[in-house]
Amino acid sequence: MSTQQSIFDRLIGGLGLDTEDEWSHIVRERVVAYSLLGLYVFVIWFPIYFIFVTSIKPTSAVLDIPISFVPTQPTVSNYIEIFQNRPFELYTLNSLIVASTTTIICVTLGTVTGYSFSRYEFVGNKTLLLSIVGARMIPPIALIVPFFSIMSNPPLIGGLTGSLYDTRIALILTYTFFNLPFAVWIMKNYFDGVPESLDEQARIDGCSRWEGFVKIILPMAKPGIAATAILAFIFSWNEFVFALVLTSSEQAQTLPIAVSLFVADDFVDWAHLAAGGMIAALPGILFGLFFQQYIVSGLTQGAVKE
Amino acid sequence: MSTEKQSLRRKLDRLFVPLTVGPTMLWIAAIIVYPTLKLLWSSVFWTNPINGQREFVALRNFRRLVFAENGQGAFLGLAPDFVAITTNTAVYVGLSVSISFALGLGIALLLDKDLKGRGWFRTAVIVPWILPYVMSGLMWRWMFNSEYGAINGLLTQTGLLSSKIAFLSDGTLAMMALIIADIWVFTPFIIIILLAGLQNVPEQLYDAAEVDGAGRISRFVNVTYPFLKPSILVALTIRIIFDIRALDLVWVMTRGGPGKSTEVWASWLYRTAQVFNRPGEGAALGVVLLAVTFVIVATLYRIFGDSPY
Repeated sequence: MSTQQSIFDRLIGGLGLDTEDEWSHIVRERVVAYSLLGLYVFVIWFPIYFIFVTSIKPTSAVLDIPISFVPTQPTVSNYIEIFQNRPFELYTLNSLIVASTTTIICVTLGTVTGYSFSRYEFVGNKTLLLSIVGARMIPPIALIVPFFSIMSNPPLIGGLTGSLYDTRIALILTYTFFNLPFAVWIMKNYFDGVPESLDEQARIDGCSRWEGFVKIILPMAKPGIAATAILAFIFSWNEFVFALVLTSSEQAQTLPIAVSLFVADDFVDWAHLAAGGMIAALPGILFGLFFQQYIVSGLTQGAVKE
Repeated sequence: MSTEKQSLRRKLDRLFVPLTVGPTMLWIAAIIVYPTLKLLWSSVFWTNPINGQREFVALRNFRRLVFAENGQGAFLGLAPDFVAITTNTAVYVGLSVSISFALGLGIALLLDKDLKGRGWFRTAVIVPWILPYVMSGLMWRWMFNSEYGAINGLLTQTGLLSSKIAFLSDGTLAMMALIIADIWVFTPFIIIILLAGLQNVPEQLYDAAEVDGAGRISRFVNVTYPFLKPSILVALTIRIIFDIRALDLVWVMTRGGPGKSTEVWASWLYRTAQVFNRPGEGAALGVVLLAVTFVIVATLYRIFGDSPY
């Protein structure tokens, strides 16, 4: 038996902390686990806490030395001022419209397509599925040059719409590029886990493919749809690089851009930036706190499962 | 039911797959295939910044990025910028991926234990990853601020440090700050993916190993690792690809500076294409990035065998 013991265990044994005392062993292990996790959580939340504290300090107190980590005169004036002095309501509206429209497109197409990929063998289905996986791997930044030129001068529909540069439509089109392949992938994996006997039962009951899908399968897929929707929304809400390249005014600029605008060449308006940053971070914090299990299941469906 | 209605139903049923798959594939072709072809096409042109005229230059854009030339077009070896920026990218990606992987594995192993409040910890741990990267980048820039930043504040006000450190004005320290921010943002992703993998390990195998007297380390190597391998592959692949292409953190924290000390491929691409308005060279860099990504994915696939990629 001792030959199979690791050096680690023998060391622990040598220190007199022998594993024979089962109870104290478990207690000790828990104490260690809780303290390490506690330390980690404290360290990762500290920056968020500090930017929050900055956002509720009076503008003049932000540059006080020594730095106060606990706000003595908390105020919401920074939050009010960014809506008064800058069009933050427009940035927020743009973010909401762009993220929700992208989410609706990706969830709708991702769900029906994912279902077909999960259930049916059709000509070229392997190739098409592979091309979707391939599309997920294209580094988006590699495509900023073509996206910029396509949006400035859209082919085919260009005569009708003119330039799409600096419009929400450009961002919505672009963000489906990040999210649609991912949505198809999550939903395909999700449907793979829904038993096929349900489809057969629907068929026996006289449902057409459409009816069976809408009445029987779709209700089963709600958690998968929720996971896809939350991830698509967060990814679109947070996106920065394409918004930077494709927009130039408050008609289309989103919150991440708005926050970055507080950085002037040499000067950063930290108090207002912190307030704007908290607004931009709000959906992430809320989704994280309340829908953590959907985010986790969506990510693992989208990433780990084959 | 009338036969006419039935035949319509059958027809619609036969159209199920084309109608559900068709629009998505068309959409993907329009938003991915077309821009990718256009990228290849743009990379062989040079645009005159003054009059906007385009000139076909074949592979000159690529040559200019990688090699140094003198005025007569004679090669003088690799371009210093190319070497420096590639090194920066390798340091940035290499260090932040390996450190966040080790940290993420540790936290995932802790969270895999049967602890009370595990769900609460998981919630607390996931948040950094879901915040906008820009906000995270600016937040860390504020943390590392030389005068008023929290890190200098903590170190000097507790007496650990006698004078403040200008983190973002020194090349090495700025790179270190970037790496810390990157680890902060992406460790949750590693934790989630590895935690999912850990849940695939059958409990009985742990018990059997324990009965056999296997120690902690041998249990990890012989029981956990084989089950965790696919998750490790996915976590590393996505993490590496993401770091190579991510611009947000670098751009808002350091703008690639001071000097070129934190310039990476992604920020170089953005600077070339958008800031300096040289779309041909930007597109050429995009092609290089695309090729590098595929090489990395293919290599990982080769090494680890069957995987989602």
